[in-house]
Amino acid sequence: MAQDIHLLRNIGISAHIDAGKTTLTERVLYYTKRIHAVHEVKGKDGVGATMDSMELEKERGITIQSAATHCEWKGHTVNIIDTPGHVDFTIEVERALRVLDGSVLVLCAVGGVQSQSITVDRQMNRYKVPRLAFINKCDRSGASPYRVVDQLRQRLNHNAVLMEIPIGLEAEFKGIIDLVSMQAVYFEGAYGETLVTGEIPSHLRSEAKARREELLDAASMFSDELMEAIFEDQVTDELIQKAVRKGTLLRQLTPVFLGSAYKNIGVQPLLDGVNQYLPSPGEVENRAMDLEADGAEVTLAPDPEAPLVALAFKLEVTPYGQLTYLRVYQGSLRKGAELLNTRNRKRIKVGRLVMMHASEMEDTQQAEAGDIVALFGVDCFSGDTFTDGTVNYAMTSMRVPEPVISLAITPKDNKSSTQMSKAIHRFVREDPTFRSRVDQESGETIISGMGELHLEIYVERMRREFSAEVETGMPQVAYREAVSRKADFNYTHKKQTGGAGQYGRVAGFMEPSEDQGYEFVNAVRGGAIPTEFIPAVEKGFQACLEKGLLLGFPILGMRITINDGNSHSVDSSELAFRQAAMGAFRQAYMSAKPLLLEPIMKVAVECPSDFQGGVMASISQRRGMITSSAEDGVFTTVEAEVPLAEMFGYATTLRSLTQGKAEFTMEFSKYQKVPDSIAEELKKTFADRLKGGKK
Amino acid sequence: MTTKSSLLKILEKSSRKGLGRGNLGVLVARAGVGKTACLVHIAMDKLLRNEKLVHVSLQDSPEKVTSYYNVIFSELVKALSLTNPSDIKAQIEKNRMILAYLNQSFDLRRLRENLRNLSEKVGFVPDTLIVDGLDFSKAGLEMFEGLKKLAQDFQVEIWFSALSKATPDDSKTQGIPAPADKFHSFFSMVIELQPTQSAVELRLLKDHESATLLDEKVLLDPKTFLARG
Repeated sequence: MAQDIHLLRNIGISAHIDAGKTTLTERVLYYTKRIHAVHEVKGKDGVGATMDSMELEKERGITIQSAATHCEWKGHTVNIIDTPGHVDFTIEVERALRVLDGSVLVLCAVGGVQSQSITVDRQMNRYKVPRLAFINKCDRSGASPYRVVDQLRQRLNHNAVLMEIPIGLEAEFKGIIDLVSMQAVYFEGAYGETLVTGEIPSHLRSEAKARREELLDAASMFSDELMEAIFEDQVTDELIQKAVRKGTLLRQLTPVFLGSAYKNIGVQPLLDGVNQYLPSPGEVENRAMDLEADGAEVTLAPDPEAPLVALAFKLEVTPYGQLTYLRVYQGSLRKGAELLNTRNRKRIKVGRLVMMHASEMEDTQQAEAGDIVALFGVDCFSGDTFTDGTVNYAMTSMRVPEPVISLAITPKDNKSSTQMSKAIHRFVREDPTFRSRVDQESGETIISGMGELHLEIYVERMRREFSAEVETGMPQVAYREAVSRKADFNYTHKKQTGGAGQYGRVAGFMEPSEDQGYEFVNAVRGGAIPTEFIPAVEKGFQACLEKGLLLGFPILGMRITINDGNSHSVDSSELAFRQAAMGAFRQAYMSAKPLLLEPIMKVAVECPSDFQGGVMASISQRRGMITSSAEDGVFTTVEAEVPLAEMFGYATTLRSLTQGKAEFTMEFSKYQKVPDSIAEELKKTFADRLKGGKK
Repeated sequence: MTTKSSLLKILEKSSRKGLGRGNLGVLVARAGVGKTACLVHIAMDKLLRNEKLVHVSLQDSPEKVTSYYNVIFSELVKALSLTNPSDIKAQIEKNRMILAYLNQSFDLRRLRENLRNLSEKVGFVPDTLIVDGLDFSKAGLEMFEGLKKLAQDFQVEIWFSALSKATPDDSKTQGIPAPADKFHSFFSMVIELQPTQSAVELRLLKDHESATLLDEKVLLDPKTFLARG
């Protein structure tokens, strides 16, 4: 795939669910001749859009996994990562954003900037992704692209500028006016594949002129050359494009395109925009950590001759084996070459190297910096970094949120039991937010994830892809424990009953730490505990953090300081000190007044303004704290922080409360203390359950 | 706890030691002087006294308003060496509600309804309203009549920000720059913000019915908006 890096684009298409991004992607693939027929998302023809390759996605009409695909447009190679629109699959979005250089934010001309668009936009800001906006569905009744542009400015703080204006709207939507070339563009042929340009219709001339002025104003902020040209009336298309490109790459300008993917209007100019305004991998700075230099940050060079650095950002099981998607950041990757996985220091050989086009693939011999390719038969986790062995870098890790909800699952029969294990093994590798463990008391398998829908999808995939029939319990909130005050410990572990004895004394204190992590401070002086046993002491404490003594939940935010101890020249051992640490922990934990913490979700409800009162009441009843309410036209977005435990079944409540006219999104915000009265109830419930389990 | 070192000094020194429930007050300044920051300082002082406050924004999204508060809060933490900042921040967030009206969707009827919803459905009864971004040049008398009534009905004090035009001193009504001067009768307090070379100067232009205005000026650091000296 060796080619000029400046002609390469790695883009994502992100949007609110139902904004039509899968249809848009489908049209892109059609116009770039990657597919030869067009299918709809919920296809009546039973084929389904090409990007949604999982059976389940086709059935639900939503995209769950980001499939990478590549196509060519006017001499540029464009790799497209299709990203899921539901917030429960946030890690998929985050992962896609990690490997993108630019993105297209698809908005619905009717729905505008909805709560999900806000979440996705926030994620894009975090990864500093330059973007274009595409206002889709201009043919729908109620379409108002100008309102959406205002929303982009106000709700998302984008310096949004129209590159086009519509010719007609709703059922009358016929084409667009390109504000750079000042021409009308129509899309003819069965699928709009033939572009016909013409004069601007007379009734739109003054509007087009005014909007072009706005465009020139905005663009000239990024180019003195353009500013001068405006004064001298010497503006050229190229000058405008150069200025818009500069503003876009700086993420200070968002060019807005519009159209209707479904009606085949406006997609090709958007593709021109991707080539024209989004960055090539050579224009984006990527960083990695140098593991040889204590994790110091290094900037990667998008140079095919430099040492290889590539990131595995997605795993997928295909009928032919495991497929690993890689983004090459630096250097080149050749078929037959040897790679080093810097996480586990394992070496692997590149067998088959393919370029992906949704579920179809093409073999290739080589990939260079900037490329996105897939490897076959590589054993790794999602998020692993590969190098050629000459450097020891790790791509800075993605932000992986902690799972907040869990579900007990039981296989229905023996066959399902084996299959379920296989499925879980697979999912854990694919998705770092999906976890699994076996509960020691009940013997049940507990899976955890980011939301009800997230887990439902996996249970469904177990059924479909692995034929594992499982029964599920009630979803459980992932509570945590934390100490609230300082408590001392001084514990001696002594065992002298036959054989080698065990001896170790550990003294110090535990206390809450500001962040939610675990900190271990060694303040032992004069070798009271020999240095070689310190790691064992730390490990002993760390093991205890997995299960608090209050209700058995993992412990957050604890600092342990050891400042004294004792050892015995013969009987002390790593095991003895590990045991001593565990004893010390048990000794002090309850005196440190542990509290129960619960996950708090950031919830955004979007509803017609008339329902604001009802929505606020519904949140308040759920122990929620409303933080803001924003009105925009006839819609209001209420934002709040609500304990996850209170959010089960909220979709149903909201539907009946607002006649189905509201929707909500939620993402994990933080852990917070459970109010005392509720903590008491929980203690009782868990005590009863424990008794029940032991009977 | 109060943020005595901020522009609240001028309020404390005023005839009634503040604005008072049922009254309207306004901060007047040219563009870019820091009206919003000053409003947030007034808000922060109320919040730190554990009073409840609604911040009404006619231009910025709630996210942006929140970030204003966060920036100013972290300045205060530094300047006042506050201990337990996370607890104080939690208290502030609990006592603050942001109502945003984007794309010209602000109207008095909606504000009234939103305030009623807040008190009836959520039990959030504010002591103060901050209204940022109201365009005084387009507002009519009926708008301020309505707001004055609202302040009385809900027993809140309301602080506004107003963008001022560059007007010669002799054309000002009672020394208040246009366009806020048209509505001077509705306001119990008017404070002007003026940038000098190294600071922002605060002057009290109207102080309830008091005829003798405080002569003293308060100088604010243009970065932190905390009082100098």
